[in-house]
Formats: sequence, structure tokens, C-alpha cells
Amino acid sequence: MERNEKIVELKALLDEAGLDNFSRLMKLSRKYAKLDLQEAKTKKIAFLGTCSMQMIVSVTKLLLLRYDMIPEVYEGEYDGIKMDVWNDDSAFYAFAPDYVILLPDYRDVAPMPGMLATAKEVEECQSRAVDSWLKIYEKIHEKLPACQILCSNFVIPFANSLGNLEGNYLFSASSFYRQVNLGLIEKKPSYVTILDMEQLASYIGKSRWFDETAYFVSKAGFSYEFLGQYCDVIARQFMAILGKPKKCLVLDLDNTLWGGVVGDEGYDGIMLDPNDAIGEAYLAFQEYVMQLKDRGVILAVCSKNDFENAKEPFDKNEHMRIHYEDISCFVANWEDKVSNIRHISSSLNIGLDSLVFFDDNPTERELVRSFLPEVTTIEVPEDPAGYVRALDRAAVFDWLSLTKEDISRSQTYVDNRKREELMISCTDYEAYLEALGLEGNFEALNEKTIARFSQLINKSNQFNLRTRRYTEAEITAMMESDDYGLYTVSLKDKFSNYGVIACLVLQYQAGECFVDSWVMSCRVLKKDVEKYTMTKLLESAKARGCTKVVGEYLPTAKNGMVKELYQTFEFALTEEKEDGSRRFELTDMTKEYPYKIKENS
Amino acid sequence: MEVKKELQEIFRDIFDDEDLVITEETTAEDIEDWDSLTHIQLIVAIEKKFQIKFSATEIKSSENVGEFVKMIEKKVEKEA
Repeated sequence: MERNEKIVELKALLDEAGLDNFSRLMKLSRKYAKLDLQEAKTKKIAFLGTCSMQMIVSVTKLLLLRYDMIPEVYEGEYDGIKMDVWNDDSAFYAFAPDYVILLPDYRDVAPMPGMLATAKEVEECQSRAVDSWLKIYEKIHEKLPACQILCSNFVIPFANSLGNLEGNYLFSASSFYRQVNLGLIEKKPSYVTILDMEQLASYIGKSRWFDETAYFVSKAGFSYEFLGQYCDVIARQFMAILGKPKKCLVLDLDNTLWGGVVGDEGYDGIMLDPNDAIGEAYLAFQEYVMQLKDRGVILAVCSKNDFENAKEPFDKNEHMRIHYEDISCFVANWEDKVSNIRHISSSLNIGLDSLVFFDDNPTERELVRSFLPEVTTIEVPEDPAGYVRALDRAAVFDWLSLTKEDISRSQTYVDNRKREELMISCTDYEAYLEALGLEGNFEALNEKTIARFSQLINKSNQFNLRTRRYTEAEITAMMESDDYGLYTVSLKDKFSNYGVIACLVLQYQAGECFVDSWVMSCRVLKKDVEKYTMTKLLESAKARGCTKVVGEYLPTAKNGMVKELYQTFEFALTEEKEDGSRRFELTDMTKEYPYKIKENS
Repeated sequence: MEVKKELQEIFRDIFDDEDLVITEETTAEDIEDWDSLTHIQLIVAIEKKFQIKFSATEIKSSENVGEFVKMIEKKVEKEA
């Protein structure tokens, strides 16, 4: 069998195995180890930890296969974090990882406060305990400036000597571990992402999570029964790092958002009664969905109904927690859901692989699963009381960070509807752009915009000329270098403030300005942002004394829309390779590209 | 006898060998992949299958299949 076929087979077995079957996962990871993957390896991941690492490493590697990530791996020794980090000549630094995963244990927390320590003493002690980890992060960052750090927080043990008093004093061990976990959140640099293992352990239950025998016998930090879920917390972060996060929740209506069928029972006959157990369950689910919307998840509806019937509860049922304007794309008709989901994806201009589908009907789920495997289909339980848990535990919306732009995103889609109405009232497109009152801002990347910059660079797939992904650590390194110019473009109009919607990474070299990265959010297509960006790009290149701008288009499955971009700016094609990549240059630095965006400084 | 049969299934699964036959005397010496890592997997799989929990002493002394069978029988009996 070809290597690729074996990988596909293993991925299918992995899907089937789930996360809860330890023996099965270990068996698959042995299969993985037998594959010859040397050539396929791209990124490097180092695992450093306090407890036994071997199984964590092999299962995490296996789970990363789900995102087609085949890393080269360094496995630190038992209790080897400090040994590797504080030794400049360690094998860890020689390995030069792109990502390091730090998995410390509560036994590493030091110093601990003494009995009856005052609040101030506890605070000082917390500072020192947190600082010892900050120093480790800083040391790694200093030696490996481009390396992203993923670090587990401390799983708080259940056995603490103060008994009932643990919850009564700040100096108690369990209170202190909690404070250290909070301190890490507060003080961690942007190149560190915390892996919330404490949350996972709490969900499972500490009495099952910890296995003292396994710790003493084989230095296992937790019961291996949960190895799959533990490694999944690590692996899932890479879904976001690799630019494959989920953005939109597609919801069914009947027996998903409410009990019963609205077409039969009418908008006031469906079950949403807050005084009924079943009604409460649906309301609780709606509230959870609204919390997702508030954190920036786009909501869409895909229902087999007459449009008017489907919309009526949103307008008229007083118990509804979700309203019509919360939904960015509302599709209710009698077409099959596969076509409707395709329609949602194209009308919102986001990839099918950004969609999560939630439907109580197993037949619909099966159809979507088989015809649209890119869409994540949630396994929905029969009991509506279990809906929140099913969606929450699927952990599909694990992003790397949360930005202002995320929070306002769903509102932007709603504003888009208003823009469409404005467009209809305008005579032509130019007049429409004029009426929108666009205002733009082009500025050098700074501390305030770095999180959003990193997000756009790593999430954008369509308007992305070279699809280079950079960690925040790499971005900071380029920002500090004289050879690079990193810029952001923000936009607003009379309806909304889009915030940062485009990013540039320019590399200056011997009078030449090379466009290393140019990405733009597809939400602002056809608003002259490209022309505005190119004009500003030319200005900044000229200011740096460049006499030539060089651009490149590297094709991917998704970035076809920018294939001709440089030609539209009258760049000359200088090279075209068999893989479809093209190189362009512009030497006339006086070119102008008129646009309808006003400067806003 | 039942215990040994179940145990054989677990061994076959973990060592990925459908024809593996174990006897009371089988030790880590006889199975190539039986190392500290697979030993832990054996423990976890056996604990799950028979709904029992081994002590640290038992895990350390479980050097051949016979020991496993004895331990399992003792525990299963106690539970019953």
C-alpha cells in the first residue's frame, strides 16, 4: 500500500476509535510508528514535561494526523523541563523546534506559602512561583524567537492537608495552585498559549483523573484512561495554529432550537415553555448558542420548512432567546441540506471546513457527514437536556485568541444585509461605495494590533497570496527586525467598524521590496481595500528607498481569487513555474490606483 | 481457564498478533514488543476488562502470564 493510502486508512480508524479507548489509541499509535513518514515531516514539536511523556507524545502525534500534521518530534527526558531549558547546549535547543509543549505538574509549583501566611505574603509567594515559569518562557523565547510555546496549567490535586479549611484560606495548597494558574493567565507573554488541563481534569473528576498507583509505578501524571482526551487538548490547538478553526454554527430548527414542528404547531405551539422541563432544556440550549454568538461565532439556520413558518417564532414567540437579527444566514426551504449548507458557505464567503452542523435528525447528520465531510457534524443526543454538553464537549471553537474583530464579526454579517439594501438604492457601484463613507487606516504593526495580525495571517485562506503562516513569536521577531515592514489596514463605513482587515509583511532587500505576505479578510472584498493597500505599500516602499516591488502568487486549493491580483495592478509577470506559482514585479513606482477610501488617522 | 482465554485476547490485541498463544510461563522475554510501555498498556487493558485495580506491588511482580492469571482470579473472586 502507498504511504498516503495508509495514512487515509489510519485516519479513518482514528475517527472510529474516538478518544476514550486507550488500548485502541495505543494500538493505532504503534501502527503510526510503523509508517515511513520521514519525508512527509514538516514542522518540529518538542515535548518537555515533568511526568512520563512517552505515551503522551505518541498519542498526540497520532491525533495530529487528523489535521494532516506530521511533525518531527523531540521528547524531553522524565522531569527534564529545567534541564533542557537552562542548558544552552541542550539537545532541545539543537533540535530548534517550531513549537514546544510544556507539561509541568503541580509538584513543580514552588515556593508554597507557609501556614497562616498573610494575604500579602501569599501574593509575594505567588509572584515568585509564577515568575519562575515566566523565566522559562523568556529563556526559550530568547533562544528560539520564532517558537510558539504551549504550556499546561496546573491540575490541582484533591489531597490537601487542610481538609475543610482548604476552601477558607488563601495560603492553603489548593487556593495557592488556583492563584498560580490565574497568575500565568495574567502574566504570560503572547507567544505562550495555556492548555487548560485543570478544566479537563475537573470535568472528568479528580478522583478518576489521578491514579496514584500509576504515578508511583510509571510516573504517569494522570490515569491513562484519559490519555486520548489529554492529548486532544494539545492536538486541537494545532487546528487553530494550522489555520483551520471553525467559525460558524449551522443550526436546524424543529426539535433542535425548540420542541415540536413549527409547521404543524405554529409559532406559539412549539415547546419553549420556561415552566416545562423540556421547554427549559431548549431555552438553555438557545442561551448557550447566544453565548457562542457573543464570542464571535457566526450563526446560520438550515431548516426544512417554509421560510415564513420558520421565521415566525423568531419574530413572535416571546420565549425565543435567539432573534432573527442574530442569524447571519437564514435558510429555510425544502431543498436538501447538503445543497443548503453549500449555499450558506458561499453566501457567507467562508469555507465548508469552517462550518459546524447541529441537527437532531440522525438522517440529516448522516447525509451531511457523507456528502460534506469537511463540515464538522456534531453527534446530537436524543434528550434536548444534553444538547449544550454535546456541543460544548465537541470543543469545536477552540481558537488561538479572541479579538475585538471576532466579537463584532457576527454583527458585521448582519450589517451586510443593511449594506445590500443600500446598494439596491444606489444607481451604480461607484455611487454605492461613495455612499458607504469608507474610511481607512494604514499603520505599522504595534502591540495593540499584533493578536489580530497573527489571527489574520493564520486564518485567511482565500485572499492570501503566499499562505505563509507565522506564530506570534515569529511575528514579534520580524517586527523587531529592520529588514521587515509589517503593516495593518483597518476599515470602517457608516454601518460598522471592521477593525483590522488586511495585513502586509514586506521584506526590504537591496532596494527591492518583496511582498512576503498579503492577506485580507473576504468580508471587505470589492471595497477598494486592495487599491488602498497597494497605494500605501508603494508609498512605504518608496520611503524605504526601494525602486522595485516584487510579488508572488503561490497557489493553494483555496486562494484562486488572487491569482490575477498583481496583473490588475499592472505588475509584469517575470516567472511562472509548473506548480502554478507566479512571480511579478513593478518598477514604475509612480503608479496610481484611485480608490474611494478616505484617510482616517 | 476463562481468564487465560480473555487474557490471550488482550495480548493478541496489544501486540497486534492474531496467532499469539500465551502459556502460564510466557514472560516479556518471549514477546518482542513486551516492554515497559506495553506492560502499562496490558495493565490498563486488564483492569478495564475485569473491572479490577492492581496495586503497585502487584504491577511490579507481574512478570509472567501465570502471575497475571493468579492475580486476576484472586481479585475477581473477591469482588464476586
